[in-house]
Amino acid sequence: MKTKTDFPSINEREPDGIKEDGTPYRVLIVDDSMFVKKQITQILNSEGFEIADTASDGEEGVEKYKELYPNIDLVTMDITMPKMDGITALEKILEFDKNAKVIMISALGKQDLVKKALLLGAKNYIVKPLDRKKVLERVLMVLKK
Amino acid sequence: MRVEYINPFVEAAFNILKEVLGTELTRGELYLKSSSQPVLGVTAIIGLTGDVEGRVLFDMTEETALAIASAMNGEQMTKLDDLTKATITELANMITAQAVTKLSELGFKFDITPPAIFTGKKMEVSDVSVEALIVPIEMPLGKLEINVAVREKN
Repeated sequence: MKTKTDFPSINEREPDGIKEDGTPYRVLIVDDSMFVKKQITQILNSEGFEIADTASDGEEGVEKYKELYPNIDLVTMDITMPKMDGITALEKILEFDKNAKVIMISALGKQDLVKKALLLGAKNYIVKPLDRKKVLERVLMVLKK
Repeated sequence: MRVEYINPFVEAAFNILKEVLGTELTRGELYLKSSSQPVLGVTAIIGLTGDVEGRVLFDMTEETALAIASAMNGEQMTKLDDLTKATITELANMITAQAVTKLSELGFKFDITPPAIFTGKKMEVSDVSVEALIVPIEMPLGKLEINVAVREKN
């Protein structure tokens, strides 16, 4: 039987979710939809990112960010959520850590809220429906900046 | 009810379903219901509020819901569990959000409520004092009925 080393290395590219020091980027997903959480998790896991934790509303998201800090690289933040919406949670996270990297996840039709989030300091946004290409492109844009 | 309200929903449904399911779609004959009507078994509802008020139902059989959820999750869903319901809810959300965006470009301003999902047999829906327009959409995965009932606010 052939061992791994016998194969030509056609797949030497490091997954995008791995930092230069060889450890994965750590991501917190804040979204009230179980489906969206799973979707983002699958996409990011496939490139080697680590999902540090998930939260189902803004309040939980802020709490988890504080718990994880400073061992957290990125937050994906839904806008419409129960208890505390994503815009308020974004503000609270930035109050706590002004360098936090937060990407807003939005359905179409929330342009005003997305604009507000960007003005407040969100680093980028993704409009649903999500797909692999769209998510990875925006996430990497934010992380590699 | 004015037909112009429903077109953005049909258009949005086509766009989103094509994008998330990558499937062929055909639109059935639009029809109007003014009294009670049965619903198919899995029904997501989203309320509309603002210049116009009403609600949109995304209605399908359990089999269709499972087939759609399986396609969107990339894995076989066999029962109506939380993930399946979250998936159908998210689909309804995306379609409605896109339709509302189109309608607001046309000058109708309103917001949507968080979606809810009903499941069960022998359900029917009655809209008092507002008629509903229904657009059936046929897909290889099954039939989805978009049922829109709105009226202008006095």
